Amino acid sequence: MATETTAEGCEACPAHHAGNLIKLGVNMSNWDYVVALAGNPNTGKSTVFNALTGLRQHTGNWPGKTVVRAEGGFSFGGGRYKLVDLPGTYSLLSTSLDEEVARDFILFGQPDVTVIVVDATRLERNLNLVLQVLEIRDRAVVCLNLMDEAKRHGLQIDDRRLARDLGVPVVPAAARQGEGIPLLIETLAQVATGQVVCKPHRLKNETPAMRKAIDRLVAKIESVYPDLPNIRWVALRLLEGDKRIIEAVRTGELGDLSRGTPGDPGTLSEVTR
Amino acid sequence: MSAENRGEEILSEAAAVRWEAGPNFHDSLMETIYTDASQVADRAVSRTDEQPRFDLDRTIDRLVTSRWLGFPMMLAILTVVFWLTIEGANLPSGMLATLLIDNIHTTLKAGSAELGIPWWLDGFLLDGVYLAMAWVIAVMLPPMAIFFPIFTLLEDFGYLPRVAFNLDNLFRKSGAHGKQALTMSMGFGCNAAAIVSTRVIDSPRERLIAIVTNNFALCNGRWPTQILVASIFIGGLAPQHMAGLVSAGAVVGIAVLGILLTFVVSWALSNTILKGEASAFSLELPPYRPPRVLQTIYTSIIDRTLIVLWRAVIFAVPAGAVIWLSSNIIVGDASLAEHFINFTHPFGLLLGLNGVILLAYVVAIPANEIVVPTILMLTVLSAKMAGMGEGAGVMFELDSETTTAAIFQAGGWTLLTAVNLMLFSLIHNPCSTTIYTIWKETRSAKWTTISALLPVGMGFVVCFLVAQVWRLLM
Amino acid sequence: MADPVTALVVAFALVAIVAFLFWPHRGYYWRAQRVRRLGGRALLEDALKHLYNFEYRSQPASVESLGGALEVSQNEAADLLVRAEERGLVKVEGAVIRLTPIGRSYALRIIRVHRLYEHYLSEETGVTEEDWHRLAEEREHDLDDADVDQLAFEMGNPAYDPHGDPIPTVDGEIAPQRGVPLSEAEVGTPVTVVHVEDEPEAVYAQIVAEGLQPGVRLDLIEITPERVRFWANGTECTLAPMIASNVAVVSSTGPVEDEEDEFQDTLAVLRPGESGEVVRISRRCRGLARRRLMDLGILPGTEILAEMISPSGDPTAYRVRGATVALRKEQALQIQINRTLEAH
Ligand SMILES: Nc1nc2c(ncn2[C@@H]2O[C@H](COP(=O)(O)OP(=O)(O)OP(=O)(O)O)[C@@H](O)[C@H]2O)c(=O)[nH]1
Ligand SMILES: [Mg+2]
Repeated sequence: MATETTAEGCEACPAHHAGNLIKLGVNMSNWDYVVALAGNPNTGKSTVFNALTGLRQHTGNWPGKTVVRAEGGFSFGGGRYKLVDLPGTYSLLSTSLDEEVARDFILFGQPDVTVIVVDATRLERNLNLVLQVLEIRDRAVVCLNLMDEAKRHGLQIDDRRLARDLGVPVVPAAARQGEGIPLLIETLAQVATGQVVCKPHRLKNETPAMRKAIDRLVAKIESVYPDLPNIRWVALRLLEGDKRIIEAVRTGELGDLSRGTPGDPGTLSEVTR
Repeated sequence: MSAENRGEEILSEAAAVRWEAGPNFHDSLMETIYTDASQVADRAVSRTDEQPRFDLDRTIDRLVTSRWLGFPMMLAILTVVFWLTIEGANLPSGMLATLLIDNIHTTLKAGSAELGIPWWLDGFLLDGVYLAMAWVIAVMLPPMAIFFPIFTLLEDFGYLPRVAFNLDNLFRKSGAHGKQALTMSMGFGCNAAAIVSTRVIDSPRERLIAIVTNNFALCNGRWPTQILVASIFIGGLAPQHMAGLVSAGAVVGIAVLGILLTFVVSWALSNTILKGEASAFSLELPPYRPPRVLQTIYTSIIDRTLIVLWRAVIFAVPAGAVIWLSSNIIVGDASLAEHFINFTHPFGLLLGLNGVILLAYVVAIPANEIVVPTILMLTVLSAKMAGMGEGAGVMFELDSETTTAAIFQAGGWTLLTAVNLMLFSLIHNPCSTTIYTIWKETRSAKWTTISALLPVGMGFVVCFLVAQVWRLLM
Repeated sequence: MADPVTALVVAFALVAIVAFLFWPHRGYYWRAQRVRRLGGRALLEDALKHLYNFEYRSQPASVESLGGALEVSQNEAADLLVRAEERGLVKVEGAVIRLTPIGRSYALRIIRVHRLYEHYLSEETGVTEEDWHRLAEEREHDLDDADVDQLAFEMGNPAYDPHGDPIPTVDGEIAPQRGVPLSEAEVGTPVTVVHVEDEPEAVYAQIVAEGLQPGVRLDLIEITPERVRFWANGTECTLAPMIASNVAVVSSTGPVEDEEDEFQDTLAVLRPGESGEVVRISRRCRGLARRRLMDLGILPGTEILAEMISPSGDPTAYRVRGATVALRKEQALQIQINRTLEAH
């Protein structure tokens, strides 16, 4: 991934760069970073995507509006960013057809930065996915969207505290109004270029038995496939008996799986005998 | 060491560790995650004030899902949407027709006459292609520019999931997935887009049911037909001031019939060729979010209305050409179009329709939008109406509903024809784009064929029965 | 134009014929198809299954037991046996009916389909426990080998059905009885009886006399070449190792599965406005359905408030961790709760 090719120059003074934002639309020929937009369904991912790229992905107030991946891009501070809007997903651990697109991209698409869009009014539920993503991804930004709704419902959210607890930057936003979007761009650029280093939260309350089991399996996989990304996650999936991962391990295509881009999942060929 | 051996090694280790971790590994993992999540959330979130005494969201929810009001409100909302569309589209439609057809078309004709362009080229381009396009714009743009924004506002507000919530039990009883209500609502916009959105349904069986039955959700290509025919024939039966409401009621009736057919066909499918077991269902009901009205109107006009209109225009162009050609190429004693019409007319009559309508549906396979213009044009042609249109193959203008009504009368139309046209417009094959999308999503010739042919077959049966019973009673 | 009465009569006749032929389930076509596909096969297969089960439990099967199990008359059962014998599936010697090797592997195939399908129903669908067996009974006869192998693959070749019975493999091998012989169990760890061999009869009688049957917990005190001593049912018992080896046990150290309390309230009892705290998600709720519930934050200890019921009666919307989630009654029944008493 072309992470080295960015201009450094003025990155130290990000405040001046909001004006540098050139909206690129879908010109994908040449990009430096890939940014994935993940999050629970209906948290405003597509709205954030539209605000960042100037495109017009369909949005709607119900879970499951986006079912396929959409791509766009923007450039900022000399770096060119490819942005990928994903279908909403509740969890990386259990998936339906539309969610699989999101899961596969986060795991195997290897985005440079994962932006997790969360609904500020349903924080606890959204943190489930955030924590799962942080388990396996080092570079992440949490976009605390729908702040206007949170205010309307009388909720106050301490984003600094949240950022400290999660170990990644947290940007409050109201994407539909465009509030917080400039800051989001700056922050994700800083994370992408490595100016801000994340120390993502890792699960603390694991039972000893769980931790022992995970560690043992991780060590085993590491000894066999030292270069595999997401070893922890593969271990988790094996412990849960995920048939797809088991199959991938058995046939030895696990290595390919980690490099390959996910295919188009929409077909029903298996049931159409 | 081969890849397989290494794999087996990992798997046997995993199997051993799995025993240690206990059978409820996933449960404990989720508990771990949520323990952390609630700790983090507790520290970060605080309430600025005590609970507001009046919780608007819950009040609305109680209303729209209430035992007695839930369903009537769904109907009422639907009726109001159509009423607004019908009333609002009337005037601009007329104005557009005057502009595009009376003024611009006449000017263009005069211009081409002056330049000495041969009659066939002039006829092909101006009377065929241009008029088809103008017609589609005049008929479709105004209702869509009203219908889409209203629909999008409802969608942005958060009403759709409540519809799914209200209807779920009926879907469950028909052996279908509750989220089919969502994909059905999407179908009210565009069937092709709705077919893609069926991916939210996990179970392949239930997804196929949703795909096959999606055609019973009236799409935007068919609303104009419904609205036009309803306002002329059914609104016409009511006193002037009630006409709009009555026509809206008729359109809602057709839409509701479509929903009922969705249930019936889902039930039949899930009991025959798509037999299987219901899967579990959970649906998150999002909070109501006040939509940004102006922004929504703007984007829905730009994104949805114009895109859909563009598609219609693209399909109208070749259709206009085909119509003009088929009615100007003379074989024996009549044009191609007349041959077809004469041939299918008896069959059409049996169905309470006529040959013209059947031909129009053949021409309109690429896009439902052009059904009404085609019917009007062909009627003028086959009835050989004097002073109407400007010769064979001219898509006729709708500058006022009275003229249109006059054309229908000349074509031998009755109330029955109108009702059956509305029914057939609901129950016939999906448009070409939708059929293609079904094929792309299922990759199955069998299911694509079933989705395409099942509705036409049903349409024939329904129209036939209505026609015969009608004739028996009248 | 056709006379409407004639047209209608003709049409109704046609519709009636079509309905008669194709009405879901009961239509002639479906029935004919079933009959053709099964051609009495279902009955034959059920008979083989019955014989196998008796053999597995080492009980003698008879024409009477067969007729009773299949709900057919003695004569029909006898006919069935004749047919099976003609095809080389069973051997009838006087009153003794035995499966031939071919018959046994045929029976195992059917059992495999049955148990796999039960597994599928429990893991991947919302069908409740009571219906698993019935649905599997119906489907076991008409799934072909390819379907079954596909099903098995999809579910990761499970070894046990949801009742804990072993699922035979493709090659017709059935997993050996779980557990180890009591005579080889580890002293000091509590164990649970999972299987008691009921032959030879004299040995079986001794085991029964000690009150041992599947589900009974034992504490081993001592194993010597002469005897096996243990606590069971509150008394100390002794068995000869030869006899103890006919009892299979598993260690019961693992987390004691909390007993599911039939009388526990479930989410389904909550009326709008009432709330409760989740105790557990029933073990009957498995697979994707279970995960989905947990993804949504429904875990032991979670507070849940019932908000509203759909006007069509079924799904109910619940407030879970700040979000509103609609669940069908089938799922609500699988979430056990303690009501929270204070009313708002
Ligand atoms: N009030 C408010 N509404 C917002 C904001 N961001 C998004 N919305 C609305 O929330 C709804 C959902 O937004 P989407 O962008 O479609 O959500 P999504 O995450 O892409 O949803 P899925 O594709 O279904 O996963 C839409 O109706 C948006 O208009 C915000 O900051 N404030
Ligand atoms: Mg989206």
